[in-house]
Amino acid sequence: MREKIHKFRWYILGLLLVGLVTVPVWGSDYVVLLCLLFCLYLALSQMWNLLAGYSGLISLGQQAFIGVGGYAVAVMATYYGMHVWAGSLIGGFFSILLALFMSLFIFRMKGLYFAIGTWVFAEALAIWFGNWKYVNSGMGMFVNPTNPPSMTMIYYASLIVGVGGFILVYFILRSKLGLGLMAMRDNEAVSETMGVEVFRSKLYCFLIAAFITGTTAGVLYVFQVYIYPYKAFAIDWTVTLLFIVVIGGIGTIEGPVVGTLIFVFLSQWLAEYSSVSLIILGTIAIVVILVVPKGIMGTLQEKIGFEILSPRRE
Amino acid sequence: MENIVLRVKNIDVYYKDLQALWNVSLELKEGKIVSIIGSNGSGKSTLLNAVTGLLPLTGGTIELFGERIDGLAPHEIVSRGISLVPEGRRVFPRLTIYENLIIGSYPLKSRSSKNQSIDKLYQLFPILKMRQDQMARFLSGGEQQILAIGRALMSKPKLILCDEISLGLAPLIIKEIYNQLRHINQEGTSIVLVEQDIKRSLKIASQAYILVGGRVGLEGDPTFFTEDEVRKAYFGI
Amino acid sequence: MENFCQLILNGVLLGGLYATIAMGLSTILGIVKMINLAHGDFMILGSYLSFAFMHWIGVNPFWTFFLVIPVMFFIGFFLQSLILNRVVGKGMEPSLILTFGLSIIIQNSLLLFFTPDSRSLMTPLSVKTIPVTEFLNIPLLYLINFFIALGAIFILHLIFQKTYLGRAIRAASDDEGAAKLMGINTKRIYAFAMGIAMMTAGVAGVLVGMAFLFYPHTGPQYLIIAFGVMVIGGLGSMKGTFIGGLILALSQLIGAQLGGIGNQLLSGYIVLLIVLAIRPQGVFGEG
Repeated sequence: MREKIHKFRWYILGLLLVGLVTVPVWGSDYVVLLCLLFCLYLALSQMWNLLAGYSGLISLGQQAFIGVGGYAVAVMATYYGMHVWAGSLIGGFFSILLALFMSLFIFRMKGLYFAIGTWVFAEALAIWFGNWKYVNSGMGMFVNPTNPPSMTMIYYASLIVGVGGFILVYFILRSKLGLGLMAMRDNEAVSETMGVEVFRSKLYCFLIAAFITGTTAGVLYVFQVYIYPYKAFAIDWTVTLLFIVVIGGIGTIEGPVVGTLIFVFLSQWLAEYSSVSLIILGTIAIVVILVVPKGIMGTLQEKIGFEILSPRRE
Repeated sequence: MENIVLRVKNIDVYYKDLQALWNVSLELKEGKIVSIIGSNGSGKSTLLNAVTGLLPLTGGTIELFGERIDGLAPHEIVSRGISLVPEGRRVFPRLTIYENLIIGSYPLKSRSSKNQSIDKLYQLFPILKMRQDQMARFLSGGEQQILAIGRALMSKPKLILCDEISLGLAPLIIKEIYNQLRHINQEGTSIVLVEQDIKRSLKIASQAYILVGGRVGLEGDPTFFTEDEVRKAYFGI
Repeated sequence: MENFCQLILNGVLLGGLYATIAMGLSTILGIVKMINLAHGDFMILGSYLSFAFMHWIGVNPFWTFFLVIPVMFFIGFFLQSLILNRVVGKGMEPSLILTFGLSIIIQNSLLLFFTPDSRSLMTPLSVKTIPVTEFLNIPLLYLINFFIALGAIFILHLIFQKTYLGRAIRAASDDEGAAKLMGINTKRIYAFAMGIAMMTAGVAGVLVGMAFLFYPHTGPQYLIIAFGVMVIGGLGSMKGTFIGGLILALSQLIGAQLGGIGNQLLSGYIVLLIVLAIRPQGVFGEG
């Protein structure tokens, strides 16, 4: 069974990809919507996983980049008439700048300080944007481009970010950077003596994650049409990403895929019961961490060696 | 019929997936001193860890004062009258000498007599009294060793396990410590000494076991050991 | 000038409250080496408990201390025994994720049970002030908070320095294995430590509820305050926690004075980030 999957994995993936690409043709609006959400959350969770699962950086503040990316698109499109996708890329770019700035403060001590530092930054940004008249302060603003894109175009943009993010992570892990990361994951002190530049590796991952997160947020807010600061910079984003990655399997490439699938379906199902759904997500995450800490894909990998995409070079 | 304080019967112990002890047995009679010697990796520390419950047994039994203790948690075993002076001393670095000693009397039975116990210890080891408010991490190796022994005595144990207490100490200090051990033994405490230093520990013991490669190579009254026998057993020839 | 003095006075007194909030978090981090991201939420849980008791029994909030404190102790004790003890020593990630999950559960449970309406434990006491000079007033509540904070710190100090339990907790945090060999049941000790931490969180919750409005999602805000206190003051010392509280409170109040009330939280965040950048171990921290 294992060998068969291994052999055919490219076919399976290819099939999935074809399915996703052609969905606007054969799928209903609702299905396209689900796939859109899937792609966007996939990108975001792959990045969170890159940080937490491979770089040892638990970020509780990715929403900082989500907000910045969203506002970039809103401002560029509405005030400057820029094309929305260019605006999204600008959002990604601003996120990198923000990440660089943040790194001056939060990379200095243990991981815990990184975690809370990212959170504090996001909270500070929420207050900042909530009081900034230029972006309409606490009332939020519209994403109002001169030529609003169609649903199909938005979908393909999200597909690009989603699949692109996934491919990016795959290639990072197979690169020298990735090798260093996995050495670090095993034993940080030892890997440092072998020349792995721990600090730089972590920083690169942080910047890459910021870029993709910001750009993805741009696409997301083009879709949502309105951005509201206290939702854009809310810790809820981290709750979701954490849930996705933990359940799917932290530190595996396939984990976020599985986790995002589960999340998209669960959130549609629980859409009306927002507090209860969060309680359920929280409880599931706790149970998973206690009982199957490696998540679905991680446990499968460990128990039966089931790996669709291995970052290991053959 | 003398009481058997500690009886280790045919134990097998694994340390991290590798078997470290094979079918090891030993006995300690009340009021006596038993020495366990062996080179690095012979399994000495593993044996003590098994007795104190830090490592589980895969076979065999351990009895303390006639009752089975294998399978109990370390803190349960310790409250039954057995104390360990751990390898590397392991005094609590950020607690003072006084506090380290007090922690030694943590088992409920020994708490009420803690003041008397401390006074006795201060008599036995005056240096502890002199520095009683200093944090343990500022002590020298020898002083820490004395503190570790003192701490082990605070729970008024009937049996003390000493894990390589002469390691890294100057000969004069080792001599002093061994004198104190004789003294403690004369007052009724049974002692298990695990050492690499063969001469001293064989001299002080009434029964000795030489471990090699996780098995008992030689056992008996050390006064009857020949040098040849000892060397052969120690190196597993 | 008088305004300034009043500001300093308020800051100092508020700092006492902040120190009380941070105490529990700092203790657990120093001892069990775990960070409880739900600390703020547990504190607010204390506020809601007090609120519930106030309305069921109809007493003044001060009386609720006697109920909130034991309840919080048991919550902390069982939380540690049943759940958190399973991830002790397994690195930071599991405990971060676990306690984060708890935070979500607590917040949303409070939301379901108590509705999103803001609540408070305010009484006429809350706005009383004691005039000190012609221009200076001491808000009575802040003064009470300050002394309770001092009291709590003193009691914690006594527990850790003079009792077997406290010493055992410190020993276990120094060397867990050696502590076990001294007959210390470390898992139970950790449960007691968490119980103590939750008690202080409960005390802080009642005090906060008497001074400010609260609603189910205010927890994380106070977690960040607690964290700010720890970063600024440094881990592992009561002195540090106290001074950290003072500095944070003062920065917030000065920031609010300079930039308006919206800037209060922001100023606190900025000071926290600056300290992280310049002296991450805090004023009294080691290493």
